Amino acid sequence: MQANKRNITKKPSAMSRRDFIGGAAGVAAFTIVPRHVLGGPGYSTPSEKLNIAGIGVGGKGAGDIGAVEGENIVALCDVDDKQGGKTFEKYPGAKRYRDFRKMLEKEKNIDAVVIATPDHVHAPASMMAIKMGKHVYCEKPLTHSVYEARMLTEAAREHKVATQMGNQGHSSEDIRLICEWIWDGAIGPVREVHAWTDRPGGRWAQGVERPEGSSPVPTTLDWDLWLGPAPYRPYVEKAYCPFVWRGWWDFGTGALGDMACHIIDPVFWALKLGYPTSVRAVSTEVNSETAPVSSIVEYEFGARGDMPPVKLTWYDGGLMPTRPAELEKGRRMGSANGGALFVGDKGKLMCGCYAKNPRLIPETAMQAYQRPPKTIPRVEEHHQDWIQACKGGTPASSNFDYAGPLTETVLLGNLAIRTGMKLDWDGPNMKCTNVPEANEFVRREYRAGWTL
Amino acid sequence: MGAAGATAAAFTIVPRHVLGGPGNTPPSEKLNIAGIGVGGRGSGVLQGVESQNIVALCDVDTERAAQAFKRHPDAKIYRDFRRMLDKEEKNIDAVTVATPDHVHAPASMMAIKMGKHVYCEKPLAHSIYEARMLTEAAREHKVATQFGTQGQASEGNRLICEYIWDGAIGPVREVHVWVDRPLSKGQDFYWAQGVGRPAETPPVPETLEWDLWLGPAPERPYNPIYCPFTWRGWLDFGTGALGDMGCHSFDPIFRALKLGYPSSVEATSTLLNDETFPVASIVRYEFGARGDMPPVKLTWYDGGLKPARPEELDEGRRMRPEGILFIGDKGKLLNERLIPESRMKEYGKPPEVLPRSPGHFEEWINACKGGEPARANFDWAGPMTEVVLLGNVALRRELREKLTETKLYWDGPNMSCTNVPEANEYLRREYRKGWTL
Repeated sequence: MQANKRNITKKPSAMSRRDFIGGAAGVAAFTIVPRHVLGGPGYSTPSEKLNIAGIGVGGKGAGDIGAVEGENIVALCDVDDKQGGKTFEKYPGAKRYRDFRKMLEKEKNIDAVVIATPDHVHAPASMMAIKMGKHVYCEKPLTHSVYEARMLTEAAREHKVATQMGNQGHSSEDIRLICEWIWDGAIGPVREVHAWTDRPGGRWAQGVERPEGSSPVPTTLDWDLWLGPAPYRPYVEKAYCPFVWRGWWDFGTGALGDMACHIIDPVFWALKLGYPTSVRAVSTEVNSETAPVSSIVEYEFGARGDMPPVKLTWYDGGLMPTRPAELEKGRRMGSANGGALFVGDKGKLMCGCYAKNPRLIPETAMQAYQRPPKTIPRVEEHHQDWIQACKGGTPASSNFDYAGPLTETVLLGNLAIRTGMKLDWDGPNMKCTNVPEANEFVRREYRAGWTL
Repeated sequence: MGAAGATAAAFTIVPRHVLGGPGNTPPSEKLNIAGIGVGGRGSGVLQGVESQNIVALCDVDTERAAQAFKRHPDAKIYRDFRRMLDKEEKNIDAVTVATPDHVHAPASMMAIKMGKHVYCEKPLAHSIYEARMLTEAAREHKVATQFGTQGQASEGNRLICEYIWDGAIGPVREVHVWVDRPLSKGQDFYWAQGVGRPAETPPVPETLEWDLWLGPAPERPYNPIYCPFTWRGWLDFGTGALGDMGCHSFDPIFRALKLGYPSSVEATSTLLNDETFPVASIVRYEFGARGDMPPVKLTWYDGGLKPARPEELDEGRRMRPEGILFIGDKGKLLNERLIPESRMKEYGKPPEVLPRSPGHFEEWINACKGGEPARANFDWAGPMTEVVLLGNVALRRELREKLTETKLYWDGPNMSCTNVPEANEYLRREYRKGWTL
């Protein structure tokens, strides 16, 4: 295949497992090879319980652990005793750690890990677990950099572990309906999609500079471990953690990284997108510390099979696309947190955040539509989909073969935001071909003691 | 208004000499001009008219105004324009108004009602209602007016009209216009938007009369965050990046496309609050057909947002921080140049059909002396300011929820939002006691 010849990543053999749709390199879709075909590390049988460790167990991590607590929660790791406190109390039998590296080294009985750290720690934690043959559930975005996403995707494939990214909308009925309707030709060929979120919208700061000075580090927090692979900087109360790290380039990936893995997910799946051919962005003031207050990112994808080239426009910070004329007065665009609008040659389809409540618009088009048979297998629940994969079942629906390229695409938007240029992108080679300085943002250096 | 539909009709200008009016100064004599707001931009405006007699100067901030006071040592000095106009009524022919936006209308209106000619900075007013009232009053009192969109006097402004009227890009259905304010990449910070009201109440500088600075606006404690200049971002005083720059940017678009009131407006932005305009916004206007010109969509971007780079723009040419992109059925015009450059070279210049300006200030001075109306007189500036300010209505936090469910439909002649009645509360504002329109 053309794509294979052009691939110069570290593990070219891995590419041979990819089944590229269509001949167009750089826009190929990624298919999923069932776990049972791959074989791999020792699987628990469906009747046995997995031994699961949590890395980052406060906030969203607490929810993720709760969703898999039908298994054995054997170890919990958090750099912040206070954030992790409730989870520690809830699972008194689990061993407690602050440093995931130590935990993974010491605990020999772990089958699988659930990772819900800040973005900048996703990849080092996931990679260490994968290399040890552990199954991995990792929150979205899969990683902090494009390079990390590529490496994790390849490593998960090589080590044959069961993976799932925390874009839980991927397990919904709604996202499957969207795919089935688009594939059925409900709105004809799609050449244009708009997707948006109101975040950060005051939930965390973007467009701000680094605060001066420092605050005493709370005794409950191991600041050095919180920083992990990121460059050292002094702790400042309320500036970075908990939660508000999302806006800072060293730790988070902005509103785009936070929400696009959810909101673009139905677009990526339904339109069988692979790597974009170009990406460009406009935004409010850009600085080297935080993501801008608001941005618009435009991705171009080439043709895929019989699907025509498509332009995907992302809006964040509260910006939204033009209200479609087909949307009746009184109906809101999307849902809380955002939405997506597919513009086809023969109609339009709108959904909310997490692919929620898809409708052809206007509503008369929805009512007139003869829905196609449901051909995509349904899954019960996102975390449990991963659990069954860990036990030798079919790959979870948002495993890293899917989630990796999705995350890469999302993160490319940040490259465009940071350079302010239209970037021509060579996906297979993970390289911007026209703006060399953009390639500096593809990968980042880790602090001493941290590796991928 | 034309038959093209009231809401989309262009605004026509009745020449001054047809109207007659108050005692015009003969061309050979000098006007007696008073300046209201003479620091910052105000001092520039005064320099533009200093060929005439500058007889009185008014500013609430003696430090800010010091240069102008020094430059015109014979002018009488005031802090309160109401007192100045009362006392100097007999000695003044005309006034220049370059206060913050929230004082434009009360100052201009008082002068107009006294029969004084008025030069007022953009935007003409702080609210749509004020703009409408000023426009009508200027017509009624037959005074010569001019609006601070100096770019209208330029060659480029006329070239844009002439290219479009010559059919260089065919019928225009889409226009994009952008500015990078309130922030500017790699340049100095302009002013803050998207921030809340400060809690600190530092003492008022001795050089500043804070109560007069507030003028018709609701009382609040002094803070240097408001003045000088940075009042632009505050709802009570300014009109945001759109109010600041929209009047400049819209001028050639309105002229070239003969725009009047829009049929609808839709706004999207970063987080809204009750104190300042958002960090960035996109405002989308729709205008109906005008004569043989088709309906057109006009999209405004600020805060660093821009439309997509047009494919026709030659490699190596950059999208500047401010710009206008006209998209016609047969081509594109970026500011006053056809793109790509090969098209520009091939087309050459359109026939010159518009008279050139003797200069923006000279237009007004001539009009005050009985000549032709200035090109940006209030019959022109009022309606255009209303359209600009309508964008700010669509950006009100109070309406955001409602406006997620519909566009705002606008009945321009009746100055009324037809589908979201709540929006009509933001067309006009109450004045503080002692202040009138």
